[in-house]
Amino acid sequence: MILAALLLVTQVAVQDPRLDRLDPDTRSAVAAVVDSARVARLPIEPIIQRALEGATKGAPSTRIVAAVRKLAVDLGTARTALGTSAAEAELEAAVAALRAGATPEVIAHLRDTRRPPLTMALSVLADLVASGVPADSAAAAVLALAPKARDADLVEFRRAVERDIALGAPPGAATSVRLNAGALDIPPGPSSNPGTPTRRSRP
Amino acid sequence: MGIHKVEPSDAELVRRVRAGDTGAYGALVSRYRNRLGRYAVHMIGDREDAEEALQDSFVRAYRSLARCDDPSRFGAWLYGILVNRCRTTGARAARRRRMFVRDAQALDGAAHADRADRLDWTDAVDRALARLAPDYREAFLLKHVEDLEYEEIAELTGAGVSALKMRVKRAREQLQKYLREAEHV
Amino acid sequence: MFEREDETVERVIQHLRRPVAIDPGLDARVMREVAQVPREGRRGRPLWPLLAAAAVVATVLVARPWNRTAASNADTLQFVLVAPQAASVALVGDFNDWDPARSPMQTAHGAGIWATVIRLAPGRYRYAFLVNGVEWRADPNAPAARDDEFGTPSSVITVGGRGS
Repeated sequence: MILAALLLVTQVAVQDPRLDRLDPDTRSAVAAVVDSARVARLPIEPIIQRALEGATKGAPSTRIVAAVRKLAVDLGTARTALGTSAAEAELEAAVAALRAGATPEVIAHLRDTRRPPLTMALSVLADLVASGVPADSAAAAVLALAPKARDADLVEFRRAVERDIALGAPPGAATSVRLNAGALDIPPGPSSNPGTPTRRSRP
Repeated sequence: MGIHKVEPSDAELVRRVRAGDTGAYGALVSRYRNRLGRYAVHMIGDREDAEEALQDSFVRAYRSLARCDDPSRFGAWLYGILVNRCRTTGARAARRRRMFVRDAQALDGAAHADRADRLDWTDAVDRALARLAPDYREAFLLKHVEDLEYEEIAELTGAGVSALKMRVKRAREQLQKYLREAEHV
Repeated sequence: MFEREDETVERVIQHLRRPVAIDPGLDARVMREVAQVPREGRRGRPLWPLLAAAAVVATVLVARPWNRTAASNADTLQFVLVAPQAASVALVGDFNDWDPARSPMQTAHGAGIWATVIRLAPGRYRYAFLVNGVEWRADPNAPAARDDEFGTPSSVITVGGRGS
């Protein structure tokens, strides 16, 4: 009975055959991270994909192992911010947002103001920062839009900002201009809706 | 450049092929290759045989495209061709698989102190799947892996819905049993 | 102590549902055989319908999965790269195990426009193009992946789920 239980526990530590693409030392280090993530009930697929990315790119073992370890840690932080019911895709997007400079508080605030899934909102936040928008401007913009905007609206917002930046606008300014110009058709909500863009005269 | 959400429908592509645009068939092959391939690999249990069955099915479908009554359901129709093709290959691969399963059972009997550590669950799943009777495996894969409705499976296989439900149930029971056996080595 | 039966079977199902890599050379083999099939009125040079569609800015029909079950809320997306000098281009990313063999891209003769179409379930995916098997390129028209821990450029595509 006990032996069977031990076998069951050992069975949990099974290696994904895709990791065979790594050399043995890297593989066992990555497998250890995967196992810890599994025990912590964090998604393991993103960790495996990161290792496979490193393998394909011929990265040195130390970099691959460092990358998956960091990812596992960040997934834990994301899960703390988003809560245990967060989906794998949301956690991955949250990691991107955190790495882009969003604080866990911003992530938690987003969780409180927008219906799941939060994947697109978090992604847009990260992508705005990748375009050069300062993290706090990007966070403020996404939080402002979060309550009412559909995922497609958020994507359109990001594209509009990126176009403006490509045309020479300073990234932070591009974000607030788009937000204030009511570039999005967000239906007016009942009572106080922090997402409704306000009109402000600009110098 | 960049990313576009674009999709000519199956019906549109079939229409083009029928109008003489052979290249349009390539898009259909590309579209269905991996999904149908997944079924073939699990059903047949041998990668090479599966790819041969898949390739064969695509060519057969092209040849008899005129007989696809509802081009918007090209995928389902193609599926039927593949399911039937896998049945004929199954007989050849079954000989090979029985040998494999025999070897696996011989291994199980041997005393390997470190077997618990080397337990490869995915291998156990493949072996368990191979041990199922073909019609159980077929029904199980079509229902649970390929997500077809019982009515659709009935159309493809010619079996009745209640018979199919029984096969799926038996398949689940047997898989559970074989995997338990694999643990208790 | 032991898993309930349905948990074991569910794990089996999840394992079996994972994508299987079919040799992409199969497409060419099929098309070679297909080319031998005599067809009345078949014209000479095959078109590449996806590239023609890429030239059209408006979105065409939305993908509808043929099996009609709820499982597929995946989007079908086309990835395009202009690389006139390339001999081969592969799309590589989180959706295909970063395996260059999984999603080779195709081009019409001499056009230098490489394309492929894949289905993606909702999620955020890092990806890049591998040109000639050696050169990594990000997608010029997609957001950049900021964490390029491996020293090569990557891009990001996010597929929305419910509510998008």
